[in-house]
Amino acid sequence: MIRIENVYKSFDNLEVLKNINLTVEKGEVVCIIGPSGSGKSTLLRSLNHLERITSGRVYINDELVDERNGNGDAHKFSPKRVSEICSELGMVFQRFNLFPHMTVMENVMLASRKVKKLSKDEAAENALELLEKVGLTDKKDQYPAKLSGGQQQRVAIARALAMKPQIMLFDEPTSALDPELVYEVLDVMKSLADEGMTMLVVTHEMGFAKEVADRVVFMDNGEIVEINSPENIFSNPSHERTREFLSRIL
Amino acid sequence: MDDRMVRVVGILIDSFFPLLKAGLMFTVPLTIISFSLGMIVAFTAAIIRVLNIRILDKIVKFYVWIIRGTPLLVQLFIIFYGLPSIGITLNALVTAIIGFTLSVGAYGSETIRAAILSVPKGQWEAAHALGFSKLQTLQYVILPQAIKVAIPPMANSFISLVKDTSLAAAVTFSELFNVAQQITARTYEPLWLYMEAAFIYLMFCSVLSVLQSRLEIRFRKSGD
Ligand SMILES: Nc1ncnc2c1ncn2[C@@H]1O[C@H](COP(=O)(O)OP(=O)(O)O)[C@@H](O)[C@H]1O
Ligand SMILES: [Mg+2]
Repeated sequence: MIRIENVYKSFDNLEVLKNINLTVEKGEVVCIIGPSGSGKSTLLRSLNHLERITSGRVYINDELVDERNGNGDAHKFSPKRVSEICSELGMVFQRFNLFPHMTVMENVMLASRKVKKLSKDEAAENALELLEKVGLTDKKDQYPAKLSGGQQQRVAIARALAMKPQIMLFDEPTSALDPELVYEVLDVMKSLADEGMTMLVVTHEMGFAKEVADRVVFMDNGEIVEINSPENIFSNPSHERTREFLSRIL
Repeated sequence: MDDRMVRVVGILIDSFFPLLKAGLMFTVPLTIISFSLGMIVAFTAAIIRVLNIRILDKIVKFYVWIIRGTPLLVQLFIIFYGLPSIGITLNALVTAIIGFTLSVGAYGSETIRAAILSVPKGQWEAAHALGFSKLQTLQYVILPQAIKVAIPPMANSFISLVKDTSLAAAVTFSELFNVAQQITARTYEPLWLYMEAAFIYLMFCSVLSVLQSRLEIRFRKSGD
């Protein structure tokens, strides 16, 4: 479903992604772990044009979503195509990034109204369904500032789901949360995984990775060091660097 | 009361309504028209700068540089007294509207640009990830937040503009100050007449200050 081939990414002279190759199948949950600064966010952001790759190819459903050959020009995509690509991918950010001037309901409805051009009624129905799913129906008329971090992140998940994406990208969705609020977000993510959503999750929650992931990717210093099953990576990693990282955080 | 005092009081009373009328019929409309047009220019210019639209971006920078780097009075003179020599003759009202609109547009574009840039980058990213184009992101996500930031400085520049319109007197536009000058030329009481004109400006601006604080309270309440 996602195919990342020989991807490199540099910021000026800083090489942040080095020869990344990764495939994610439909329905799979893949967790990305690794130290801070290892390029995890950049990899996720390269899938929906928040970053453009320096070299390599990225496909979603066998359709090209980014391509560049080294120093050649980046592949040009029309704004419409970029919007389509983004509609196939839902993204959840560490800092929620809800729209503060809109209620919860308006946050969830906005994209289906303005990007998908659904009618107000359809968008509202869809939004209510999703708010029910994340357990926040009673907060629908609140502004985000009135919600806890965990509630805000659940709204952000509902907002991303409103576009009916085929793939969900999570970039450390619980890292900005107080510890007691982490579980409510992870629960929502687990139920998404149970429903068969394809998910690519950058996380420091090793418990979640162990329990939910089909495969775990360990990144360090811009490289994928190891891709393994959760059992193997946590009990019997095949690389010394993985072992070192896990021993430092567990 | 001596004769001098009686004469001055008489002149002040006689001139109050002509001055107030000039204020209401010319100063106020000139301010409102120039400010409204100026805001359109300011938003357009700010959006061009923020979206970095190739050539237009350079033109906007040049425009802001010229307007902010030269005195408004000189700009008005160039438009009114200078342009006729290349065959463009504009009347005093049109001159004043163009001059003040360009001025509001240039300063306002910087204010609005700063307000747009004050909205966190995460807002752009979230909207992009949902499939919004840049213009849609501005329309639905960024500008509603930026406008709240821009309102206090904008209200200030509106109040400044009320006073700045007195410069139009120098290009023969018969607004409040110009009328005060005319009456002074007849009566030779500059101190009292200019004080009276100042008093009327003060009234206008005081009303606006009250409105300004109401507006700000209202905007602080709405939303977050
Ligand atoms: N926009 C940017 N400009 C310059 N450097 C960046 C930018 N974004 C990220 N980086 C750098 O790229 C590296 C990888 O960052 P990131 O992908 O955020 O890592 P991670 O998510 O694994 O912590 C870091 O060294 C970071 O400083
Ligand atoms: Mg990161």
